[in-house]
Amino acid sequence: MAYSDKVVDHFNNPRNMGSFKKDEEGVGTGMVGAPECGDVMKLQIKVQNDTIVDAKFKTFGCGSAIASSSLATEWLKGKTINEAQKIKNTDIVQELNLPPVKIHCSVLAEDAIKAALADYQKKTDEQPADTK
Amino acid sequence: MVRAPCPFLLMDNDQPSTHSDRRRQLQMARSMCWHCQSEVTGEYFCERCVKVQPVSKETDYFTCLGFPRRLTLDPKKLEAKFYELSRTFHPDFYQTKSTDEQAISLSNAAVLNTAYRTLRDPIQRAEYLLALETGSVKDIRTSPPADLFEEILELQDTLEEYRASDRGSDQGHRLHTTLQTEQEALERRKVEMESQLRRLFADWDKLQDAGAATSSAKAERDRILKQMRELLSHRTYINNIVNDLAATIA
Repeated sequence: MAYSDKVVDHFNNPRNMGSFKKDEEGVGTGMVGAPECGDVMKLQIKVQNDTIVDAKFKTFGCGSAIASSSLATEWLKGKTINEAQKIKNTDIVQELNLPPVKIHCSVLAEDAIKAALADYQKKTDEQPADTK
Repeated sequence: MVRAPCPFLLMDNDQPSTHSDRRRQLQMARSMCWHCQSEVTGEYFCERCVKVQPVSKETDYFTCLGFPRRLTLDPKKLEAKFYELSRTFHPDFYQTKSTDEQAISLSNAAVLNTAYRTLRDPIQRAEYLLALETGSVKDIRTSPPADLFEEILELQDTLEEYRASDRGSDQGHRLHTTLQTEQEALERRKVEMESQLRRLFADWDKLQDAGAATSSAKAERDRILKQMRELLSHRTYINNIVNDLAATIA
């Protein structure tokens, strides 16, 4: 099965590839991997006033994994934390037209979003209120 | 050399003695012969009407090949058993039989091939046993190895840099040396992980042989399975990056 045009596009022109400093204020980092295929995904969000102002990713894996994370960062930008929580892997599957054998890539991207949000939440909870 | 047995000779009362009693107990899930509806007591053949019986979908690969669920298997014995059963089920021997029997021999042969391929490789064998023992791999949640991930992603950056560089330049040479060193270090780690895995395999077998049903045995079982899951996952990550490194700097 060939990759859809959208996957190929994200693969050839990945959006928001790169990374933020982990300890930077407002940055949440999600690091996930798929033991079955060995793919590794790092997704980061930068939050200001409860809104994701920027997102970056780095993925080592197949085209679908790269496309899934690239798309995820695009979607994350401009969303509030709550809205971001609602992104589902099925949305990614639909948008990228992923075949059944590649669904796990979208699951990985959803896991990465959740992990980044959780990391951000954890960081802000630990911070004293007056520095927010 | 074992003589290629006609499968229909297997119904003789003096069956080949390679079938241990323990194994027969494992194998003999009481079921009905698809042909004569009598109870099947033989291993793969109905003792009454002599028809070949399908390997049940529920039969795991260890049972199929007549081995207990152990992680250290003698490859020679495994191969011998595989050859023996391959002859038993080989579709060539069923050409003059009914279509039903032909279909059964074909599907049995297919199951057997997959079973052998899976159990032959120690890593696949362990992955398979984990899936059997834990239902699904996802049941054991291991914390993602964040340090390893960082390392892999950093290496990917260096790889990218190398791919974009002029291989003949000083920078190209420097990157090549760096990547080569990294590759060697990762390969050493892989070897170390594999020897850790072998130790876990031995622990597992020892625990199974002891067969104790105590709570400490249960805890030991969980420890082994969890550590095995972790090591196998980490090994996959390392394996992928090593392959990538090898392909790029070769």
